[in-house]
Amino acid sequence: MTVASDHQPVPGDALVQVRGLRTQIGAKAIFDGLDLDVPRGSVTAIMGPSGTGKTTLLKHMTGQLRPDAGSVRVDGEDVARLSRRALFGLRERIGFLFQNSALLTDFNVFENVAFPLRQHANLPEELLRDIVLTKLQAVGLRGAAALMPSELSGGMARRVALARAIVFDPMLILYDEPFVGLDPIALNQVLRLIRTLNKTLGITSILVAHELAAIRRVADRVYLIANGRLVAQGAPDELEHQDSPWTRQFFGGEADGPVPFHYPAPDYATELGFAGARR
Amino acid sequence: MSTNLRRHWMLQGIASIGECGLFFVAVLGAVPKSLRYWRELARQIWFVGAMSLVIVMTCGLFVGMVLALQLYYTLSIFGGTAALGTVVALSLFRELGPVVTALLVAGRAGTAVTAEIGLMRATDQLDAMSMMAVDPLAYVASPRFLAGLVAMPLLACVFNAMGIFGGHLVGVSWLGLDNGTFWGNMTSTVDLHKDVLDGLYKSVVFGGVVSLIAVFQGYTAPPTSEGVAYSTTRTVVFSSIVILAVDFVMTAFMT
Repeated sequence: MTVASDHQPVPGDALVQVRGLRTQIGAKAIFDGLDLDVPRGSVTAIMGPSGTGKTTLLKHMTGQLRPDAGSVRVDGEDVARLSRRALFGLRERIGFLFQNSALLTDFNVFENVAFPLRQHANLPEELLRDIVLTKLQAVGLRGAAALMPSELSGGMARRVALARAIVFDPMLILYDEPFVGLDPIALNQVLRLIRTLNKTLGITSILVAHELAAIRRVADRVYLIANGRLVAQGAPDELEHQDSPWTRQFFGGEADGPVPFHYPAPDYATELGFAGARR
Repeated sequence: MSTNLRRHWMLQGIASIGECGLFFVAVLGAVPKSLRYWRELARQIWFVGAMSLVIVMTCGLFVGMVLALQLYYTLSIFGGTAALGTVVALSLFRELGPVVTALLVAGRAGTAVTAEIGLMRATDQLDAMSMMAVDPLAYVASPRFLAGLVAMPLLACVFNAMGIFGGHLVGVSWLGLDNGTFWGNMTSTVDLHKDVLDGLYKSVVFGGVVSLIAVFQGYTAPPTSEGVAYSTTRTVVFSSIVILAVDFVMTAFMT
């Protein structure tokens, strides 16, 4: 149920192409010339230390943020140059799973999942109901269709948000921290679902996540971002064994390395008032 | 307050007014698209209008009763108590009806609208709509703005009716004024265009002002609990000031 577009083909069949991306938010440079390609039909994970701009990158892909320089092309379209109408047209072909689920609190679970269909597809009520129930069944929450968002646990809300993100069978799904709050059973099902969507419908998926075990099971490719640049890339297994200080620190979970654990701060002893004692 | 700080506040105030003006244009631009969401519009008219009925009716009744008591005392000094119905009706139609209704709606529905939209912003619901290719201006902002425009004059009519009923209760039933005199003087003096419709025009403008301020404050509320609380307070404060200022300007032009 994707909307046809008059897009130009992208070289190398990358559905998402990021070139020379530079973004500054306040005084902080988030991206400093980031380049990456997300192949069509793949499951790609974007990883990196907290605050490195992974969610910001997703926002660039959906046109929620404009880059200071460089470009982000999705399905051949330069997102930052699209008109509002064209941008909304592109978004109809993208599913987005928000970090905090972002369910519409006035609607129950069923209506939350049905919301995009009601807005964009003039479907008979019976067909709409069948589609929504199919998606809820896929995330194991068909029985919760009548519940309100306030009655859901964090993990359940995330699964409802996932059902809503896939209800239109989009060409691209962006998952922002999809595994947070999921119990092992739900996690397993969600991983299967992502893989199934990818295999059966050829949906391209981009995941922002920190759970290495889950990423290893689901992703074809991992991009590791740090200090505003791409510092490593490859298949999950390859990347774990790469001999680079970035991968060693990140996958090894070490405090020492190129990524500082501590946020920049004045000298600890000085701040505690022990500076005199040192002299 | 230092000169720099004063200048900073002034510039911030001017920038906010400009921002609100641009937001108003955007909301108006989204009105045609928002008519697609007629269910949402009906829900908002219900929320702003029907849900405000109790407070508007109660206040209208008491305002009319107080007005009649005060005016009866004043008019009796000059031996003009026969004009009680006329003066109560004119006060309500021309001033108190539109102004008090607008202040009540700002306090009841305006704050609720600001808090609702502010929380939607804080919990990414507006972004989620936008990501689902649904324009939040058309789905959230415009219906609430239009609901204020539609509901306010209707509520003012109810307020006026209750006020006159309250005035009648006090003037006729309690203080013993002649029923025929009360209604007769009122109907012969009150002019449909000059008094009743002018008051309704004011109500429409106040409805637009209160809704715009409420929606704008919610839309631009910082996504924190404190931010939403401040924006809700600002809705009441700014609405009250703007209602009274606009009332003065409109009255000056209408009389």
